[in-house]
Amino acid sequence: MIDTTLFWAFTLLYVAMTLFLGYLGFKRTKASEDFMLAGRHIHPWIIGLSYGATFISTSAIVGFGGTAALYGMGLIWLAMLNISVGVLLAFVVFGKRTRVLGTKLKAVTFPDLMGKRFKSPFMQYASAVIILIAMPLYAAAVLIGGSRFVETALGVDYNLALIAFAAITAVYVTLGGLKAVMYTDAMQGIIMLVGMVVLLFLTFSLLGDPVTAFTKLSNLSPSIPTSLSSKGMTSWTAFPTFGSEIWLTVVTTIIMGVGIGVLAQPQLVVRFMTAKDNKALNRAIPIGALFILLTTGVAYTVGPLTNVYFSETTGKIAIAAAGNVDKIMPLYIESAMPELFVVIFMLVLLAAAMSTLSAIFHTMGTTAGYDLWSHVKRVRSVEGYDKPSLNANKAGTFVMIVLSVGLAYLMPDGIIARATAMFMGLCACAFLPAFVHGLFSKSPSTLAAKLSLGLGGVTWFFWTFFVHIKESSILGVCKFLTGQDAILGMPWQVVDPMVIALPVSIIALVVGWVYETRLPESEAKANGGTGAD
Amino acid sequence: MLGIDDPWILAGYGLAIGFTLICIVYGWWKRNEEDGEED
Repeated sequence: MIDTTLFWAFTLLYVAMTLFLGYLGFKRTKASEDFMLAGRHIHPWIIGLSYGATFISTSAIVGFGGTAALYGMGLIWLAMLNISVGVLLAFVVFGKRTRVLGTKLKAVTFPDLMGKRFKSPFMQYASAVIILIAMPLYAAAVLIGGSRFVETALGVDYNLALIAFAAITAVYVTLGGLKAVMYTDAMQGIIMLVGMVVLLFLTFSLLGDPVTAFTKLSNLSPSIPTSLSSKGMTSWTAFPTFGSEIWLTVVTTIIMGVGIGVLAQPQLVVRFMTAKDNKALNRAIPIGALFILLTTGVAYTVGPLTNVYFSETTGKIAIAAAGNVDKIMPLYIESAMPELFVVIFMLVLLAAAMSTLSAIFHTMGTTAGYDLWSHVKRVRSVEGYDKPSLNANKAGTFVMIVLSVGLAYLMPDGIIARATAMFMGLCACAFLPAFVHGLFSKSPSTLAAKLSLGLGGVTWFFWTFFVHIKESSILGVCKFLTGQDAILGMPWQVVDPMVIALPVSIIALVVGWVYETRLPESEAKANGGTGAD
Repeated sequence: MLGIDDPWILAGYGLAIGFTLICIVYGWWKRNEEDGEED
């Protein structure tokens, strides 16, 4: 347990800075476009830091760091995908086009962009509904991650930590909108960067230079429990055996699910629309890439090395010492690091949790307040058509925050990394093919987009509820209807829903597109029409 | 090599650092890029 005076001094300073930046955002938020898109003229450095801080949450540090402690250093491939796909491809290919289209169509949210690009209210509503179903899962996972650390390291009651997290974030998101979110993200991103770099250096100073530390980790292979070795785990410094159960989990769920799913995450897509021009996006790319390397790269390196620390100090590997994947990183910090760093790392996790939470809360709020509530109201009443309600967005944000906190109490332990992967996988399956089609096709097909979103989403839900055993056994729907946890046997039970649903979504898009392009123009429009400009 | 058993892990580190460098070079190189004509 650490010195409480030190803890409270740092915490109060951090909260004061957060609220001050939130207040700046509030003062500069005059209209709905400020609340939803930060006025479309955010500084490149803030875009880069905000993108990174939103992308990397406590899930990445606590959840995936703990998962790396369990499954080994193969997760570094996730960091590689986070940078190559999540930053380079996302900014250069997707970001610029998203910004141009968003400005041209006057889109203010991700569902709004989908609806306007395909000239289809269905696309807007369906995207909004998927966001409102899946995003609270992610929000709850982030809340749990931050609260667990505070509980483990500081002895603060878990429920109190969870409520405090949500309440402080709620204040500045609800009042200051995206400006407050991005200003605070930048400050939080800097804290995360500094903290993670220090964590890496302290870990190597504790365990020896990198070669010594990695050699010690390799030499721990005989300590791998049978429960893991029988499923393909051979070493913490090697990939699991190709095609084994753990290999499938690591590659399909963790690396691909999160690595690819990032491209169509609504809260990240919106950040591209806050840039004034392409210059701003280009200048944000180095900041974003360095940020991801120094946060995820450190988490996926230090995570496995915790096995060396726990083995030397307790004679147990990390999972045995902590008892739960989500408790490995907090326990390591609390027991191995100097007192001052425990406080700093608590700020890192507070910052990571708040930056991601605020983005999720903001996205859910604008989706509920604008894409559903305001839009439905506008359709019924022409009055106020071009004036999305600021109050509706604020009310929507508040309601979704309350729902997420409720869900955090219901979700089981050890769920952080899995819930994150679920959210990102669903985003990829439901949104990615249609989003890519909408961005890059000169005549995007509405029918193709509807088929892709619908079939991709339905397939993902089906596989999650009835086949992928880690979710289906917890959700219980399959057991209730069929008497068994999953309707298919191995290896299907460990194949991530995204591996099945994303190809279905892509095929549906291609079939719909080909079908619509072969129809006469009048018939195509009668069938839902092409969204061509 | 470097105490790590598997060349795939080393490749993962190499690619992660390599892509970061590409991002830095690209961002610097295109820092003054004007917006093109797009529909």
